[in-house]
Amino acid sequence: MTGGDVHTLSGAYALDALSDTERASFAGHVDDCPTCALEVAELRAAAARLADQAWAVPPPALRTRVLAEIANTRQEQPRPRARGGWTRSHRRYRQLLTAAAVVVLAAGAAAGTYAVQEHRVGQQRAATLDARAQNESVTAILSAPDATVRSGPIDAGGRVTVVASASRDGAVVTLAADHAPAGDHVYQLWLTGPGAAVPAGVLPVGATVVTRVVSGTGTAHGIAVTIEPAAGSRTPTLPLVASVRI
Amino acid sequence: MTRPRSPSCTTSSPLAFAQLYNLVAARVYGLVKRVLRDPAQAEEVAQEALVEVWRTAARFQAGQGSATAWVFTIAHRRAVDRVRSEQAATRREEQTTAWAAQPPYDQVADEIQDRFERQQVRRCLDGLTELQRESITLAYYQGCTYPEVARMLDVGLPTIKSRMRDGLIRLRDCLGVEVPS
Repeated sequence: MTGGDVHTLSGAYALDALSDTERASFAGHVDDCPTCALEVAELRAAAARLADQAWAVPPPALRTRVLAEIANTRQEQPRPRARGGWTRSHRRYRQLLTAAAVVVLAAGAAAGTYAVQEHRVGQQRAATLDARAQNESVTAILSAPDATVRSGPIDAGGRVTVVASASRDGAVVTLAADHAPAGDHVYQLWLTGPGAAVPAGVLPVGATVVTRVVSGTGTAHGIAVTIEPAAGSRTPTLPLVASVRI
Repeated sequence: MTRPRSPSCTTSSPLAFAQLYNLVAARVYGLVKRVLRDPAQAEEVAQEALVEVWRTAARFQAGQGSATAWVFTIAHRRAVDRVRSEQAATRREEQTTAWAAQPPYDQVADEIQDRFERQQVRRCLDGLTELQRESITLAYYQGCTYPEVARMLDVGLPTIKSRMRDGLIRLRDCLGVEVPS
């Protein structure tokens, strides 16, 4: 292979479209070529976005099985050559989770609701029915022909995504913050405009990720997020830490 | 419920992992199912992939891209490995005919999927040339190797390699994909 040939393989490599032999040889080349490594990382990230299109509701049992299996699976230690000085895998994992939280897709919402509802120990049957009802309202909004997706950043890091449907008079809001508010404070959601802001849900203390179905969005201008005392407030405490137009 | 083993081996929290699961599971499962075209196998492979994410979380480095990209890379690789194993190839042929009879819940999921088809990725895919788009989707969603794609599209190998690369580059630019260094 000439040098030029090697480089053109980066696309096929990022798509997992090489044979095992070619794959191994290209991976060897990438190890010695920082420019190629960057290109491969970028093309892989682009290819990974194709997963957004393949969204499907996973069977609720999958979550149970995966969580049961990881409880009994030892985590591998970081490789010695790992860069970045992350000495504790805990810290590394927090970063992984944080990075993942930034890329919340509205599409992940239904699964999240499922999961949260599904986890009530001892009430599995009731929980499943509950989950179905929750999931149905999420699905109704996500599948509405007039559903729109908008998202905005949270000041301290993270993202709020809103799928709103006028015909359903509701919105599915997913919030994934990098950090929980300090002290006993919490995130609170609001429906904004045309009149005064209407409270639309308070997260528990320490919570950074949530999926909420907000109804009555008909005349609202948007969804806003503030930091409030643990019990929540009746009027938003400024500044808004995030705001998404509907 | 299985009782968790001694926490000495799990400095990362299972709770954190559960949250990550909520974020990525629908896409991991959907992607694997799209490649394998078999819900039962998809569930199995999605489970393997997610456990691999847990097991190798310490290897993830931000310089390699976003965490979700890393998760989907693992899931896609697993799905492609499965689809290429001889056993899966046979089973897949059998599955192709049974594909019409899906559980209702898949129909629901597909309905949502259709909804999101018109979103950003769709727009960006539409911005590719037909050959770029075909090469990329055949490889990614069907798990074909590039020589297989070349045969299917009746195009030479160098052309297919180039279209995969320049198509992904265009997709990267359209999606604004950035890799933190």
